[in-house]
Amino acid sequence: MLLAADVDTLYLGEDFFGLRLPHSFKRPEVAEIVHLAHAAGKKVTVAVNAIMHNDRIAKVADYLDFLAALQVDQITVGDPGVIYLLQQKKLNLPFIYDAEVLVTSARQVNFWAKHGASGAVIAREVPHDELTEMVTELQIPGEIQVYGATCIHQSGRPLLHNYFNFVKEHQDRADRARGLFVSAPHKPETHYSIYEDFNGTHVFANNDLNLITKLAELNDLGLTHWKLDGLFADRDQFVSIAQTFVAAKKAILAQKWTPDLVEQLDEQVSTNQPANRGLDTGFYEIDPSEVQ
Amino acid sequence: MRTITNKPEVLAPAGTLEKLKVAINYGADAVYIGGDAYGLRTRAGNFSFDQMREGVAFAQAHNAKVYVAANIVAHEGDVQGAGKFFRTLRDIGISAVIVSDPSLIEIAITEAPGLPVHLSTQASATNYETLNFWQNEGLERVVLAREVGIEEIKEMRRHTNVQIEAFIHGAMCIGYSGRCVLSNHMSMRDANRGGCAQNCRWKYDLFEMPTMGEKQTEADPKTPFTMSAVDMAMIEHIPDLVEAGVNSFKIEGRMKSIHYVSTVANVYRRAVDSYCADPDHYVLNQAWVDELWKVAQREMSTGFYYGTPTEDDELFGKRRKRPQYTFVGQVLDYDAKRQVAMVQQRNNFGVGDKIEFYGPHFTHHEEVIQQLWDKDNDILRRAPDAMMVYQVPVGIPVKAGDMLRKERAK
Ligand code: SF4
Repeated sequence: MLLAADVDTLYLGEDFFGLRLPHSFKRPEVAEIVHLAHAAGKKVTVAVNAIMHNDRIAKVADYLDFLAALQVDQITVGDPGVIYLLQQKKLNLPFIYDAEVLVTSARQVNFWAKHGASGAVIAREVPHDELTEMVTELQIPGEIQVYGATCIHQSGRPLLHNYFNFVKEHQDRADRARGLFVSAPHKPETHYSIYEDFNGTHVFANNDLNLITKLAELNDLGLTHWKLDGLFADRDQFVSIAQTFVAAKKAILAQKWTPDLVEQLDEQVSTNQPANRGLDTGFYEIDPSEVQ
Repeated sequence: MRTITNKPEVLAPAGTLEKLKVAINYGADAVYIGGDAYGLRTRAGNFSFDQMREGVAFAQAHNAKVYVAANIVAHEGDVQGAGKFFRTLRDIGISAVIVSDPSLIEIAITEAPGLPVHLSTQASATNYETLNFWQNEGLERVVLAREVGIEEIKEMRRHTNVQIEAFIHGAMCIGYSGRCVLSNHMSMRDANRGGCAQNCRWKYDLFEMPTMGEKQTEADPKTPFTMSAVDMAMIEHIPDLVEAGVNSFKIEGRMKSIHYVSTVANVYRRAVDSYCADPDHYVLNQAWVDELWKVAQREMSTGFYYGTPTEDDELFGKRRKRPQYTFVGQVLDYDAKRQVAMVQQRNNFGVGDKIEFYGPHFTHHEEVIQQLWDKDNDILRRAPDAMMVYQVPVGIPVKAGDMLRKERAK
């Protein structure tokens, strides 16, 4: 369906190797999707961006071989151990550096470029004013998230189950589908998503990111790799949102980017947003000097 | 008799020059400090270059090392001048910099050759290939993520010979260090540039919310949800850490007092020496454990060393442990003839109080204060003023640098 929505690249993976994925795909499924995508002239990026412990890094080498043989277009990587394996194995498998919150400067991105990265996912905590400085220095394309959930904390501990055990409420579910939130003290209006999975406990920003109104600006900056994260969206809604962003891209390329259209597209994103999730522009419009 | 030849280093925090000297006097092989720029604890306890010079001279005279933490994750513009900064550290005689951001690592290695670089725990190194990667880049040492267990360290040792440093004592992040930006999003303070507001320790409401605003509370109203880790203490597991091949035992707490630093360094110095001198006959001394409890701020646990932490490793509800002792003063001098100590006051004490005196090499004794004079020999009952020097008769000889503490009323 996403292919039909005309996105350029699909992003997927298995949660043993990748972080915070809407679905964990086993190898045969990955193979099938790669074939479908390639037949449709689209690319596939596979997530290998987990924080790997020894038990996992031991299995990464084999997974990389599998992905290279499949001719996956690229992978995301956040752990230098995986980059070390790529260097050792000399595989033809381009990688995008994705250490989430840590990717905050061009000089850092360029460090990974020297180590073979073909792109980097820029941290969502980098405001527009810093992006403008950053893009002039980037030696490889910077990918930027324009829609979806923003992870703001990853713990290796089962924080929800530990709490349930402590208060002696034996609740068996703390997964994403359950839809738990926390709100900060004295701010009952806040709602940070929280769930547990194989990789630990994850906490997300108060609202999902929506930069649809900023796309022309990003395009002008040369930031043209836009990432949509469908972690909390339902399938149909996410496909509609993806279609909206594809329409936006086409309009920008055709120089038909008008205030009316922006408003209309923004409205479409809001309409398809899950009923229990808000939208905002995250750190994009924040003045860097406001951050202490 | 077997002895341990590759004895690990005891590495203590030093937020100020005074703490640096105390840590080394109390047995630290090395201390880590913050520089004026690029340090995570940018808001407190950073050293100027002159203070560093004095610290390095003191350390060298005591055969100890000084490391500088420069572990911010830089944004555009932050790394300006970093090359010069690192060269200055090298020329001052700093033994290594502790860095997390690859851009700063690259600057240190290319622009300040000869200055060893250690990977900060903020980079969350959790597997041996990551250690190999950084060794290949020219790093001397990797500080492991706090999420790594003893068995994992042993496995790492089989695959890499880069130096391994691991936290053995102190406060902990509840999440993977570096991967937490709760503070950025909730408090507009960048956790990776020294601004963390400790949001993990806040008390949260926990709820389901099928549609926006319609909360269905899941939290126990008496015990809000929180993500607060108890502190780490590995005193009971020194043999495991040594045998796993850890090269440096790191104590957390650049913001902590000299009471804390002296006590913790003293204990681990003792335990490491004792084990390495005769590992086959080593016994854990309960006095060491008791000593650590005297400065404990929270309960203590072994973190991830022996498995994934449970609810017992977190703080819910009320704090279950209060500090047991109050730090009351430091000995500046002792007149053996008169049997009188010059004591700089840090908290109120006086005649009738039972005081514990302790010093380097784990010396301890208790005495009830019988008399007290100020500098002008005026007789007093209490020593009320902070940092003022009082004369205290002490029967058993003490030395400059010894500390005084008093048990708190229960
Ligand atoms: S909020 Fe807690 S877990 Fe996050 S950086 Fe601060 S102390 Fe660490």
